[in-house]
Amino acid sequence: MMELGARCVVKRQMSKHASLVAKMLLLLIVAALTLPLHVAASGQVTSQAVAATTQCGHVSLQAMIDDATPGDTVVVPAGTWQAPLHIDKPLTLEGQAWPVIQGDGSGDVIRISAPDVTVRGLVVRGSGISLDREDAAIRSSGANTVIENNRIEDALFGVYLEQAPDSIVRGNTIHGMELPISRRGDGLKIFYSPRTLIENNVMRDTRDALLWYSPYSIVRGNDFATGRYGLHMMQSDHHLIESNIFRNNSVGVYVMYGTGFELRRNLLADNRGPSGYGVGLKEASDVLLEGNRIVNNRAGVYSDSSPLQPETAVTYHNNLFAYNEIGLEMLPNTQRNRFQDNIFLDNGEQVNVYGGGDLTHNAWAVDGRGNYWSDYAGFDANADAIGDLPYTSKSLFDNLAGSHPELRLFHLSPASDALDLAAKAFPIFAPQPRMSDPAPLMQPPALPDTPGLTPPPTAINLAAAAAMVMLALSILAAGTRRRRRQRHTLSAQAA
Amino acid sequence: MTAKVIWALAQKELRDALHNRWFLLYTLAFIGLALALSYMSLAGAGIAGFAGFGRTAASLINLVLLIIPLMALTIGAQSLAHEQEQGTLAYLLAQPVTRVEVFAGKYLGLALSLLASLGLGFGIAGVVLALANGAGSPAAYVSLVGRTFLLSLTMLSVGFLVSAFTKRAGVAIGIGLFLWLAFVFLGDLGLMGTAITLRLPVEQLLWLSLLNPLQVFKMAAILDINATLDLLGPAGIYAMQEYGAQLRGLFLMLTVAWIVAPALAAYVRFHIRGDL
Amino acid sequence: MIEFTDLTKRYGKFTAVEHLTLHVPAQGAVALWGVNGAGKTTVIKCLIGLLRYAGRITVDGCDVQRQGRAARQRIGYVPQELAFYKEMTTYDMAEFYARLKGAPAARIEPVLEQVGLSEHQDKPVGALSGGMKQRLALGLALLADPPVLVMDEPTSNLDTAARSQLLQLLVQVKQAGKTILFTSHRIEEIEALADEVAVMERGRLQFRCPAAELAPRLGLRTQVKFILPGHQLEQALAVLQREGLAARRNGVGVIVEVAPGEKARPIHTLRRADIEVSDFEVE
Repeated sequence: MMELGARCVVKRQMSKHASLVAKMLLLLIVAALTLPLHVAASGQVTSQAVAATTQCGHVSLQAMIDDATPGDTVVVPAGTWQAPLHIDKPLTLEGQAWPVIQGDGSGDVIRISAPDVTVRGLVVRGSGISLDREDAAIRSSGANTVIENNRIEDALFGVYLEQAPDSIVRGNTIHGMELPISRRGDGLKIFYSPRTLIENNVMRDTRDALLWYSPYSIVRGNDFATGRYGLHMMQSDHHLIESNIFRNNSVGVYVMYGTGFELRRNLLADNRGPSGYGVGLKEASDVLLEGNRIVNNRAGVYSDSSPLQPETAVTYHNNLFAYNEIGLEMLPNTQRNRFQDNIFLDNGEQVNVYGGGDLTHNAWAVDGRGNYWSDYAGFDANADAIGDLPYTSKSLFDNLAGSHPELRLFHLSPASDALDLAAKAFPIFAPQPRMSDPAPLMQPPALPDTPGLTPPPTAINLAAAAAMVMLALSILAAGTRRRRRQRHTLSAQAA
Repeated sequence: MTAKVIWALAQKELRDALHNRWFLLYTLAFIGLALALSYMSLAGAGIAGFAGFGRTAASLINLVLLIIPLMALTIGAQSLAHEQEQGTLAYLLAQPVTRVEVFAGKYLGLALSLLASLGLGFGIAGVVLALANGAGSPAAYVSLVGRTFLLSLTMLSVGFLVSAFTKRAGVAIGIGLFLWLAFVFLGDLGLMGTAITLRLPVEQLLWLSLLNPLQVFKMAAILDINATLDLLGPAGIYAMQEYGAQLRGLFLMLTVAWIVAPALAAYVRFHIRGDL
Repeated sequence: MIEFTDLTKRYGKFTAVEHLTLHVPAQGAVALWGVNGAGKTTVIKCLIGLLRYAGRITVDGCDVQRQGRAARQRIGYVPQELAFYKEMTTYDMAEFYARLKGAPAARIEPVLEQVGLSEHQDKPVGALSGGMKQRLALGLALLADPPVLVMDEPTSNLDTAARSQLLQLLVQVKQAGKTILFTSHRIEEIEALADEVAVMERGRLQFRCPAAELAPRLGLRTQVKFILPGHQLEQALAVLQREGLAARRNGVGVIVEVAPGEKARPIHTLRRADIEVSDFEVE
């Protein structure tokens, strides 16, 4: 663990001379410490920390923090340090070679109550498990907190900003506890902390990344997977959500009650579960979704009463909806949504009206340009790249399933296809269209890149497929194999 | 029961399958359609920059549900009836073989020819998919093939049952085709109608549909690919909540029951049958 | 070698075979004689295990119903008409049945040679003539060199030449020491092959007798049809009837009924009367 021995370094803002003297003194102390510490290192975690701090003249890391002057950088060497820690003055706490800040399994691990605190390069683990107290690895209530490049493990809540405006959470890895989803906490909880920047973090196995009453926050370049809601925004306005990966959550991004959201170039994939959505919009106003890839979710986008505010819209531009069970699931109360240049590709059901009804109060084309639909069967006689017939979504089975959801059990059955065929052959059964794109695109528009596009394992797939062909051929060969016979010699003699 | 005799009979069935017009036709149709589906999904994968296997698999499930039962039912229904009609069955049974051996040999041979046919169809489509980077998880693909094989065995068993009760191949195939209609369309459509008119609770709907081995296959395949059944709406969600991890076992049990029970009944009938 | 004890087979209310008890000694050749529907084929089907029955059949001590495989291992069966798999070649078919019988592959060539099919072993079975097919059936029956040969009307579908060819083969087989049980309604076949005849009528065994005594005991007569010049027809009828032969006119010829050993008598009679016999047929 502690190969180099512990060095407790406090960088103080002092005169150059004093600083130099202090540094030399410290180096001496460190050199003297190295040997006994090797012994201590093999012993208990506690004794080692104590040993280190005793030699430094402090009783613990907490004591060092207490001892530091506001504005200092406290460098934490590798090793395991006992927490909880409380930082109540502007400080930088910086780990070298990943020191472990080990909580005692109750309450928070690091608590920050002053502004301008930076925590960087630490492994923070071992929070309590109380959902009532919301035990967290790092909790801050100070403005301008920077939580950067930390590894947070075994924590109920990961980073909890509570009235910590203008903070930055960047480059952290957050792993939740192995608990059933109902007992997990939020990997990130940003509460009454406006203008927070959440950037390049990786989060796994937690509940949500939650933005609550924290307007003007930006979420960019993160990778949030295997949680409940990848990103959950509630009563929070004006957010930019850009170039993130939301994968294998129940819901990729859930926007509840707010105004002003831009979702750009995100990858929303494999978000499943009973109410699995790539993006969920509930009473969200003034939303722009642009250049997102929404792939293989239960429902690509679920939209309920959005936009809520009059005079606002929800705009879908240049998004990919592909391979979702339902591309777009909307409640019939959804109006003033605008769609242009989106690709609806091979969704089990391209557009579904939840509970039946129609979606005709939305603009399925803007300025004479609609969307690309992989099941569009029209033509383009005047060669303007716009289909001459409108695209309509009307499947008898889908309509039936809209009003009798239990019939979805027969999804993918030939019987449900037969129903649709019958409806086409005998128009008397044909259902009312639920939506109509008056200007469907003949070719899919180009899409911007999103993070997280990975090629499939080609070699293994090829090997598996080739093995199947070989198996088939060897079965056939075994079936037609003849026993050896001496015929050839006989016929040779006959000749 | 000796393995040598069973294998000799199985090999002959395999060789016959290669001469059987129906069998070749189905195999070619299956390969062609699987390729066409793969091609279509590849076009999509090009747009998406994403392997579209989920969707390919869904189309493959649909294709499998149509063709494989037809194939297995017709060759199963022909098996004994055709030989009886030709008189070869009586001559075969006059040899020093037992009826178990004849039955097992025929079943094994036809099962292997089905496996070969599936291997070719899925294998060729899979090579195309893989080469074009359009395939997804190899495990999901292999398990889909495995489940398809089990499905074909259920229908083969049902076909044998038809065959054991008929003397003429034409009649047997007719019954086989009707059963195909029933399994693929009529049963589901009837159940849909019942569900709407009687307002069946989802658990009853689920269990009634599980009586159909095709539905069992479909649910198991979807479970393999999506890891949940929520695609199937309330009944699927109910199944996940009620049975969860036991679902795979349940599906396997039902499938095995559909393989064993009709085959056993067919054998019993074949064994006690005198008028050959 | 083969014992039928109180064999009874009923199809519903119809009784096909009733209380048949019959013994076929080792190396003996017994023919089942009877008109169509007398129950001969049913007896054979019971013997080779295709039908369930009441009573008991053993082959070399093996009970057909309880030790079916062992019993059938001792039997080579030649059906009335060989049912074949069209696509198979002669050799492949022989190989297939050799494997079922557990006969070594080395037996295939000599047996095909024995029945004169060596040159045809790569032909599809469907392309063989009727006589060749029956010889193939005999060959298949002999593959595993069983002690017993069971045949159901082996020559009934063959033309005269093929029939005599097959009969010749069967005589050789008999001389090689096989036990033979066969059904027939052809007196020449029985006289050529059988030691003993069991006569069946409506499912019952009527009597048994040496093969040579069958025709006289049944009072069997053969019909011979003579083709004669038209102007001599009346004269011929008169001459034949004067000789005491049962003759009647039939189109351009005369039909004479004679006992099986006397087929040449009408020819001599007609020659003596200077009536030229251009052709005749035995029916």
